[in-house]
Amino acid sequence: MENRPKPARETLHAMPLAAIVLVVLLLGAFLWLLYRSEREQEYHSLIKNILWVEQNLGFQLATAEERLEHLAEELARRHLDMAHFKATAGHLVANGPEIERILLLGPDRRILAAVPPSAGGEAPVEGGTFTMAAKLGKRAFSGPVSTPPGGTGFEMQVPVFRDGKLAAMLVAIFSLDDLLGSHVPWWVAEKYRVSIVDGNGNELGTKSRLAVEPGRSYVVPLDPPGHDMALKASVYPSETSFTRNALAAAILGLAVSAILSLWAVRRHIQRRVAAEQALHAEHAFRKAMEDSLTVGMRARDLEGRITYVNPAFCRMVGWPAEDLVGRSPPMPYWLPEDVEATMALNQAVLDGQAPREGFELQFRRRDGDLFDALIYEAPLIGADGRHTGWMGSVLDITDRKRAQELAAREQEKLQQTARLVTMGEMASSLAHELNQPLAAIASYATGCLNKLASGKFVREDLIQAVEKLAAQAQRAGRIIRRVHDFVRKSEPNMAPCFLDDVIEDSIGFVEADARQRGVRIETDIRAVRPLVLGDRIMLGQVMLNLIRNGMEAMIETPAADRRLLVSTTEAEGMILVAVADRGTGVMPDAVDRLFTPFFSTKSEGMGMGLNICRSVIEQHRGRLWFQGNPEGGSVFRFALPMAEP
Amino acid sequence: MKVHIVDDDEAIRDSLTWLLSSRGLEAEAHPSAEAFLARQEPAAGCLVLDIRMEGMSGLDLFDRIRDRGCRLPVIFLTGHGDVPIAVQALKKGAFDFVEKPFNDNDLVDKVIEALAQDARRRARQAGADSLAARLASLSERERQVMDLILEGRMNKVIADRLGISMRTVEVHRAHVFEKMGVKTAVELARLMVAMKG
Repeated sequence: MENRPKPARETLHAMPLAAIVLVVLLLGAFLWLLYRSEREQEYHSLIKNILWVEQNLGFQLATAEERLEHLAEELARRHLDMAHFKATAGHLVANGPEIERILLLGPDRRILAAVPPSAGGEAPVEGGTFTMAAKLGKRAFSGPVSTPPGGTGFEMQVPVFRDGKLAAMLVAIFSLDDLLGSHVPWWVAEKYRVSIVDGNGNELGTKSRLAVEPGRSYVVPLDPPGHDMALKASVYPSETSFTRNALAAAILGLAVSAILSLWAVRRHIQRRVAAEQALHAEHAFRKAMEDSLTVGMRARDLEGRITYVNPAFCRMVGWPAEDLVGRSPPMPYWLPEDVEATMALNQAVLDGQAPREGFELQFRRRDGDLFDALIYEAPLIGADGRHTGWMGSVLDITDRKRAQELAAREQEKLQQTARLVTMGEMASSLAHELNQPLAAIASYATGCLNKLASGKFVREDLIQAVEKLAAQAQRAGRIIRRVHDFVRKSEPNMAPCFLDDVIEDSIGFVEADARQRGVRIETDIRAVRPLVLGDRIMLGQVMLNLIRNGMEAMIETPAADRRLLVSTTEAEGMILVAVADRGTGVMPDAVDRLFTPFFSTKSEGMGMGLNICRSVIEQHRGRLWFQGNPEGGSVFRFALPMAEP
Repeated sequence: MKVHIVDDDEAIRDSLTWLLSSRGLEAEAHPSAEAFLARQEPAAGCLVLDIRMEGMSGLDLFDRIRDRGCRLPVIFLTGHGDVPIAVQALKKGAFDFVEKPFNDNDLVDKVIEALAQDARRRARQAGADSLAARLASLSERERQVMDLILEGRMNKVIADRLGISMRTVEVHRAHVFEKMGVKTAVELARLMVAMKG
């Protein structure tokens, strides 16, 4: 049983798997795209927001710048009115949380005033920026500077000119942290970690809720204040990704479980297919077996309807399966003349009374030939264990029976031959043995006669010769006695027997032989159950011999006339049996010697048959004789005394 | 001129010897074929052999002595069923066979006949022997002349055939007649026919 992959089935198996894989891939791609677009969107909103923040900061700084420039103009106009400075700067510091301090420096960079007032130990103002602002005559921003306590910030320096000369320098110190803290709105801070970095990416100030590792970031230069300072926003990982991951995981899990279940289904299907194939193979094997059987198989249901026949059975009876299946008794292959008996037997089988050792029946083939069948019936048990009918195996035993008969006949022939051979051998050796003394006796006697006739003899010689002659006669007598003993040992085994049975048996024996020779054996049994006292076997041998002789005598007879008539009649306490053939008859010159031992009219005959037959009949106190048949051929008759029942 | 009986049955040997002696015939009995073969082969007489014997059968013995060149007539004694064998022996040149038991003098008559035949054969053999000696004394040329005489040729034809003169043929002819012990060509022809027969 091989498991050949069928392309169609493979495709069938692969399709759902491919579909699932494809779905997973597509879903994955979809999720990824979604993720991508979300990221993209996030990024865009990040950029948007950061730009907005940057704009906002720019705006704030611009506002601060405007106010400081306004203050610078006011101070220029009011000859550096300190009170005004303090009031305005105080207002600015109070309202601009990003502004740490506002200083007013002289051209020599000394602090003229500070809001909030200095606590001493000022950090020097960024010199480069001061110079720049003074030279350019317009505000300038410094790079990052340290702001107490430990923060980072930057300075905005706005020069105050009077009459084209630098009168003072307004310095606003911005804290980056405060700048971010107050001007980055909550909804931005919630999503992004917003910080200000220097050119090397070091964080100078930040507004962050959490110390989480942020994801993507976007950096925009912060100008003002410039000096490579930049605004950096980093996205916090959002909670939405958890949902998405859970979704992806669920999808993946589903896909895996789908594949697993598909695989399980496939394995199941494979097992089913294997089982199916095994079943097919089994079925094919059984069919091949049934078809190759020489035994006819015939299944019938409980009513006796044929449900199945195998080819051997069809061959046996000559009807095709379609003509037989579904038939109810009587069956077409039954013998029309035995339908009733067969029906009864059939009923017995259906009642479960079929003999276990099988039974013999004659069936008729479609072409009319009869054959002997040996039938075994067994109950047919269905898959569910119920008794559904009968399975019968039918053996054609015609040949077997024929062979048996033939063997029996051969055996019988052999025995007969053996018997005849032993008889013949015995007779032959007897003849030889007797020949010796007889030859000697004859010689002595003739010698004596010759001597006596010649007249020239010595008396003693004659006496001696005659004595020797007598001794030889004794010798011959001894041989004869030995034969008597032998014959007595093989005395017939007498018992009452019916002669018609004997005749029937012997006819049965030669029937096949007769068919072969084209001889019809007819019987005319007038004697009703004739009982004789005799040896059945020996009488049977006599009948066989006479019938065979009769058949052999008709070899030359035209086929139409080859009839052998065996008849019996009763007369005066004797049973007369006649075997009449229509053969060549017995030649007149052979009639006298017919019953002589060792006389045979047949080339291969031993000449013992008729002689022995006559001896047997005489042993039974009967007579055997021969007559010509008025219709041509010869009639052998014997008479036996009837036994008292 | 003895009758040699070979039979393994003592009674048969004894009774046959008695029977033959009652007709004045001398017999010598041998209990087996082997015993007969062991002795000096008889030059004259006849053999009476039993076909069936213990050891070597009569038929085998017959074959053996025939191979040896013994030409004595053989009579077989046969029992029932031996007739086909006896017929075979006859075809091989046995003189006759007799079935046991014998009819009074049947066997004796056949023995006498066989003895007579043997005597005739020996006489013929002797004659043939002398004739052969006479033929052997002829010269080659005389032999040629004799063959032509037997063909019935005239002297003249013989002279032509052999390329010799008529005179020489006459001389050869005289020598041939003298050596063969005949007076005429007819006598010569008879003699040669008898020899061939």
